[in-house]
Amino acid sequence: MKASLNWIRTYADLPQDITAEQLAHDLTMQTVEVEEITNPADLVEGVVIGRVVTVRQHPQADRLVVCDVDIGQGTTSQIVCGGSNLYENEIVVVAPPGVKVRWHGEGERVELSAAKVRGVVSYGMICAAGELDLEGLFPPSEDEEAEIVDLTELFPDAIPGQPVADVLGLDDLIIDINNKSLTNRPDLWGHYGLARELCAIYGGTLHPFPSIEIPEGTSDYSVEIVDEDRCFRYDAVVFEGIELRDAPFSMRKLIWSVGMRPINVIVDITNYVMLATGQPTHAFDESHVSNGIRVRTAHEGEQLELLDGRHLTLSPTDLLICDGADKAIGLAGIMGGAHDSILPETKDIVLEVANFEAISLRRTASRHHLRTEASIRFEKAINTQRCDLALGLTYQLMAELQPTARIVAAGTHRVRETEAIEIPVSLHFLNVRSGHTITADDAINALEPLGFDVTYDGDDTLNVSVPSWRATGDVDIKDDILEEVCRMIGYENFEYKPPVITLDKPIRQLAKESERAIREFLAFRAGLQEIYTYPWVSDAFINIAGDHTDTLIKLASPPSPDRSYLRGSLIANVLEASVLNSRYYETFGLFELTQVFSQGAVSPSIEEEKLPRQERHLAIALAGVLPFLLFRRLKGILAQLPRFGRFEGWEFKQSGDKMPWADRNAWLKIVNDEGDELGSLGLLSPKATEESGLRIPCLALAEINIEKLVPLQSRDNLYRRLPQFPLVEQDLSIVIDEDVSWAQIYEAVANLVHDAKFVEEYRGEQVPKGKKSLMFSFRLGSDTGTLTAEEIEKLRNRLIKKLRYTLGAEMR
Amino acid sequence: MRDQLSEIREKGLEAFATAETSEKLESLRQQYLGKKGVLTEILKGLGKLSHDERRQLGQLANEIKRLLLQAIEERKEELLDKASFLELQPDLTIPGIGIAGGGLHPITQMCYDLNDAFRSLNFEIFSEDEITSELYAFDYLNFPPDHPARDTMDTYWLKGTEDKRGAKRLCLRPHLTGASVRYLQQHGAPARFVYPGTVFRNESTDARHERAFYQYEALIVDRDFSFSSGLLLVRTILEKVFGHDVPVRMRAGFFPFVEPGFEIDMQCSVCDGEGCHVCQDVGWIEVMPGGAPHPNVLRAAGLDPDIWSGFYINIGLDRLVMMRYEIDDVRLFRSADLRFLEQFK
Repeated sequence: MKASLNWIRTYADLPQDITAEQLAHDLTMQTVEVEEITNPADLVEGVVIGRVVTVRQHPQADRLVVCDVDIGQGTTSQIVCGGSNLYENEIVVVAPPGVKVRWHGEGERVELSAAKVRGVVSYGMICAAGELDLEGLFPPSEDEEAEIVDLTELFPDAIPGQPVADVLGLDDLIIDINNKSLTNRPDLWGHYGLARELCAIYGGTLHPFPSIEIPEGTSDYSVEIVDEDRCFRYDAVVFEGIELRDAPFSMRKLIWSVGMRPINVIVDITNYVMLATGQPTHAFDESHVSNGIRVRTAHEGEQLELLDGRHLTLSPTDLLICDGADKAIGLAGIMGGAHDSILPETKDIVLEVANFEAISLRRTASRHHLRTEASIRFEKAINTQRCDLALGLTYQLMAELQPTARIVAAGTHRVRETEAIEIPVSLHFLNVRSGHTITADDAINALEPLGFDVTYDGDDTLNVSVPSWRATGDVDIKDDILEEVCRMIGYENFEYKPPVITLDKPIRQLAKESERAIREFLAFRAGLQEIYTYPWVSDAFINIAGDHTDTLIKLASPPSPDRSYLRGSLIANVLEASVLNSRYYETFGLFELTQVFSQGAVSPSIEEEKLPRQERHLAIALAGVLPFLLFRRLKGILAQLPRFGRFEGWEFKQSGDKMPWADRNAWLKIVNDEGDELGSLGLLSPKATEESGLRIPCLALAEINIEKLVPLQSRDNLYRRLPQFPLVEQDLSIVIDEDVSWAQIYEAVANLVHDAKFVEEYRGEQVPKGKKSLMFSFRLGSDTGTLTAEEIEKLRNRLIKKLRYTLGAEMR
Repeated sequence: MRDQLSEIREKGLEAFATAETSEKLESLRQQYLGKKGVLTEILKGLGKLSHDERRQLGQLANEIKRLLLQAIEERKEELLDKASFLELQPDLTIPGIGIAGGGLHPITQMCYDLNDAFRSLNFEIFSEDEITSELYAFDYLNFPPDHPARDTMDTYWLKGTEDKRGAKRLCLRPHLTGASVRYLQQHGAPARFVYPGTVFRNESTDARHERAFYQYEALIVDRDFSFSSGLLLVRTILEKVFGHDVPVRMRAGFFPFVEPGFEIDMQCSVCDGEGCHVCQDVGWIEVMPGGAPHPNVLRAAGLDPDIWSGFYINIGLDRLVMMRYEIDDVRLFRSADLRFLEQFK
């Protein structure tokens, strides 16, 4: 929302020397966030008044003229111009060389220099409104194509060479306030409210609001509020004998400077009143309103065409302004109807000043995607008393600007008034909660300039009466009073105070620590990169991962139509991320640890709330060239994870169903002691690899349900005594049947040797078909002494014999 | 024979002193002092000599042997001093061999930095599920139904629940604050905890706006907790994160779930408050909203607002990380693009 400091000053005595920076800072610190402060005079910096002395045809161009213009420099300046409305003695707006203008009202501003235009030198430019961003203030007439700004009528006494900013009175500070920070302050949506706030900040004096009493002796006008829950007050006033013309320049300028468009005197008065008081008003053409006003809810399917040309189909949740014949003439508090608002031929008007219930009005505005200056204000909840301010100001302006107009009828229907709120606040409360020393005088000095009435009982209690303009939901409890006092004192004036805290319990969160250890192991030891992905998954990748959509959660309005499901596993997202990265890397490893969702009815807090199943999963993807090596690398990482992640161990086992995405020859499940499945790992199948568009040979994937892991208090292994005598390192190559597994070999040798380790497998010419060669290493040692060569040989032979008997192994 | 010995001495000393390698030195040692070495041969021949001569020449030969051995040792040490494993001077500008590189997401890193800071102040870490209900996301947080503030957080509702109300209307959480009510309902007061996590908004995205982003909230609920203490808490945390004192300021701000509400700014670290393009010439950067939990929120959490009060802050981690590394597009965080993520090891 924009506000003019000049306008605010008409209601308040404020220090004259407030700078834009200071104003932005003070308002931001104490009240609302100021986004920007601008001065409209900057639009015409260096631009001066000119008087056209002569106008002659350009020798080379039909559409151009050459003017001699007096810009107050003794001699006239020659300016080439394309304006269609140039005449001698015209008062115009001249941009001399060096000034920046927007050529033809388009693009960025560029600096003018004296330059030849079709052979004739032009010393500057006679400006059209658009070239100085003034088109809102000087709207081009419809039939003129190349119209320059003509000030002859408005400012006949303007002196050539005078700065245009001075003549137009543009020097002002326009404060642009962040709308979001005004959400709870309906009183600040008008200049009078801002004037009050600035008086409180700067210690200025607020003038009484300019208004005049309703004239006596006007006949009753019928006003009926049918839906009393949604309209609390409605005043209608009929004016006869309107002369529709432009509002005075000073009014148009104020309306324009805060970002609205001046239209005609009646519409401008209604807008001016809204901008001054924050209370929207509206004017209907009286000849279209028969027998008074009715405020009622719409019928199902009822139609209304709005001022902006939109056709609405309404429902009983919408509130309508109708005439006495029940014809809809406006959507209450949002926008007037197209056919019954002010029209070019309007002679008599019905002026509406009303108060509508905020929430339902907001629902209507949202449903029809209508956000107007009026609806934005009404939806913040306005006090009913503000109607009086708006009426008073309207009477005054009408008397001033439409002296021929007469009030012929007026009517009002009042359902209820905004009630004052009384809040007792203790000084103790203010002091303890702020941490700042606040006396009764401090509190009173902070509150009274804002319009609060405060009485102090001399002991500990302040009785605070909230003014009606703050009593519509903004201030209703003592904490609100605390905030008012604190922000007026200024938080920047608060000292730092250490809190009194009891260290009553040590904090130990094993699951949290384990999760961090898992991430750090994967990143720092296993060399994987952590990624974040979105919770919504592409349909294509859900398909490839083989997730069943019937158990997935769906978004009502997803970010894109093919990403409506939330992840039920992490495989799809991690696969998609791998495909993306395969464009740039041949080998890489990544992981994600986050929540996945599936249908369910879980109540984490209260019975009534049933949420889907939400569990934390970990997924890992390794990309590379050699499939089985890749699988083994992944298995190696996973084998070490429990120890480094500090949770109870797990085993690998081929059980249950293969994962849909996995290669039929390379998949395993991860199970705990009880055989419960914790996760799985596998090689991405050739089919899934092909379908996903992966640009690298292969990918190994794993997914684990982190919530099923049992974190440990500390690492769970026991110390192993160091050997008294040195161990000797040995290895052995054996030839065995293809179907004998390493696990079987390990089991056979485990209690005969120390540290049996798989080294490599070999199949080839030297190995008979149906067999494989396998090499493993181990260590031998004794508790009674260093082994001799003979003893080593004896132990090796025992090993070989056992392998031969149990597994049919031969030495290579 | 005497001449032979002195020749051996001269030639031997000369040969040892100039031997180029330790292998050469070893072969020279063999040549002179080995089983069949020249000196050994001479010593073998001593037996044929007279007793006196044998004694004299034996002494001489042993003296020469000692000299030669000493020369070998000296040369050995010389050679070792000059020795290198590398025959040629390698190009030492060739880079070292890297270790396998992985890393945590830069937001995880920032989150852990904050966790460490808060843990040192005895805060607990709490995680709420990402799917919640309107009850916890809005109703409990003092957002009146259809209040405009609900619009500032466009929410992803779950299909099939979007037309319901309260506990039955489910969504991806639009902010974290609802988690505080869950925690307080469960654990009561006093309480001191942080609750980081991802939140979701149904918005259009650009370099500064995202649909999913990471927030970090902290809440203290205690008896008579003051704003002055809250301000100190904020300052302490920022100091721990940035490693030096960071001036902060607190100003009025409106959020339905706090009363009063603040915006907390930190002094721009690029210009030290002088004003620059990063802070848009203000000298301050908005880092977090904060405030005292609204009495209605405390009531929703089952706490008596006349007894309990508190202080809450919400830190947008995406933004903080963007500032830390001068990242210009927020969407990179969830792009899973390793070319980006690898930069934050």
